[in-house]
Amino acid sequence: MPNDMIHPLSLVLSRVSARFADEVKRDHYALRDVTLSVHQGSFVSFIGPSGAGKSTLMRVILGLMPHAGGEVVRHFSRPAMVFQNYALFPWLSALENVAYGLRMQGVPREKRERAARAKLAEVGLEHLESHYPAMLSGGQRQRVGLARALAIVPDLLVLDEPFSNLDTITAEALKADLLAIWRSYGMTILMVNHLIPDAIELSDQIVILNAHPGRIEKVLPVTLSRPRDTRSAAFFAEVDKLTEEIRKIS
Amino acid sequence: MWLIMAALLALALVLWFSGYFNGVTWPSLVEAVLRTTYRLLLAYALALVLGVTIALLVGWSPFIDLFFPVFDLLQNLPSFALFPLFIYFFGLTDQMIVLFAVSSIIWPILFAVLTAIKGAHKDLNDAALIFGATGVKRIRHYLAPLAFPAVLTGSIVGIAIGWESVIGAEIIASVSGFGAFIKNVDTSDMSPTAIAGALCILVIVFVINRLVWAPLLSESSRRYAE
Repeated sequence: MPNDMIHPLSLVLSRVSARFADEVKRDHYALRDVTLSVHQGSFVSFIGPSGAGKSTLMRVILGLMPHAGGEVVRHFSRPAMVFQNYALFPWLSALENVAYGLRMQGVPREKRERAARAKLAEVGLEHLESHYPAMLSGGQRQRVGLARALAIVPDLLVLDEPFSNLDTITAEALKADLLAIWRSYGMTILMVNHLIPDAIELSDQIVILNAHPGRIEKVLPVTLSRPRDTRSAAFFAEVDKLTEEIRKIS
Repeated sequence: MWLIMAALLALALVLWFSGYFNGVTWPSLVEAVLRTTYRLLLAYALALVLGVTIALLVGWSPFIDLFFPVFDLLQNLPSFALFPLFIYFFGLTDQMIVLFAVSSIIWPILFAVLTAIKGAHKDLNDAALIFGATGVKRIRHYLAPLAFPAVLTGSIVGIAIGWESVIGAEIIASVSGFGAFIKNVDTSDMSPTAIAGALCILVIVFVINRLVWAPLLSESSRRYAE
């Protein structure tokens, strides 16, 4: 469990509220009074029913949408994101997609392509660098999305339901890769997710959100030692505990 | 496509050798067609630059939702309703015809680009922002490539409208070109000159379609497929 003394904070939200962006629902809160601290280098999962403002919360944290009230303190400088629908640029090859962030930073072509190639190799796709997203499978696209995020060496990585469009086998493989990447990079990870076992397996902390308006219901620490055995009795006990918490709110 | 074109050309050849086109003054017809085509291409080039630039700037600004209904209203004005204004300001000149055509070609291009920008998946927009395509970089590295397929489809519609505008304007204003030419030939029946003129235009449309749009469209659908 992270400790304040050795792990400074990456993110502090105090009483953050946000409204819906579309005109019809503008008077309603997508998020209401969300207060949360995230330690640097920790892995935090966000779980909750649809309408609980999980994606809105991520967009507020990344500064992609304004919040209506409260305070967001960001102690990160290089955020990156992996999307449920991959959100790769269809007009760019896999390599160019991965190099996109570096290109925006003004890194010269040769240097950024070398870096991008290394990241593609890290996710096992170096042989597909000239393929366009449309030619890749869902799992391959998500790996390109992950490599694109890693290429800027992020200190905060947001994953918005990264596995929900993938089949189980692909998702399992990607999850293992993600854990290895988190271990070697040590960045803070925020992951929106709806699978309880995944949240227990990966997270230091699980934030349970509830809907109408979106708010934090509970923050559960996961204290199981790593690497986690997903078939141990202790693991199942944690799954039970979280399932119970979620049942309470629904 | 090719089959229809081949059949038309075969028909043209048959008519040619049967002496049907003997009365046609080819040099002046070809000259008129080329002049019309030149006006159309010039008008298209101007409309393309202007339409894409305006659409990208509006799409880049935070005011896209504000401008959309305004453009929609402007696009709905029938071009020919403004024709007297063009004549008033520019006279019966070459420039007038070209600028008039620009005013009708620009809308489909502008709207296609704006719609593509508005309709892009929110995540793609977020991805561009997170990975650093902010400020003016957003135009070159996100909005412009995003809009490319829309520029194509907008251009195809725009040029189709453009033919009508240019020829229509030429007919009304009687300023050289194909429109003025067919106005002066006998249109009471199917004259050989009218048929020959229609065939010339068909050939040009076909060539532009096959040599320019077809390859670009197939490239765009290959690249931008979901």
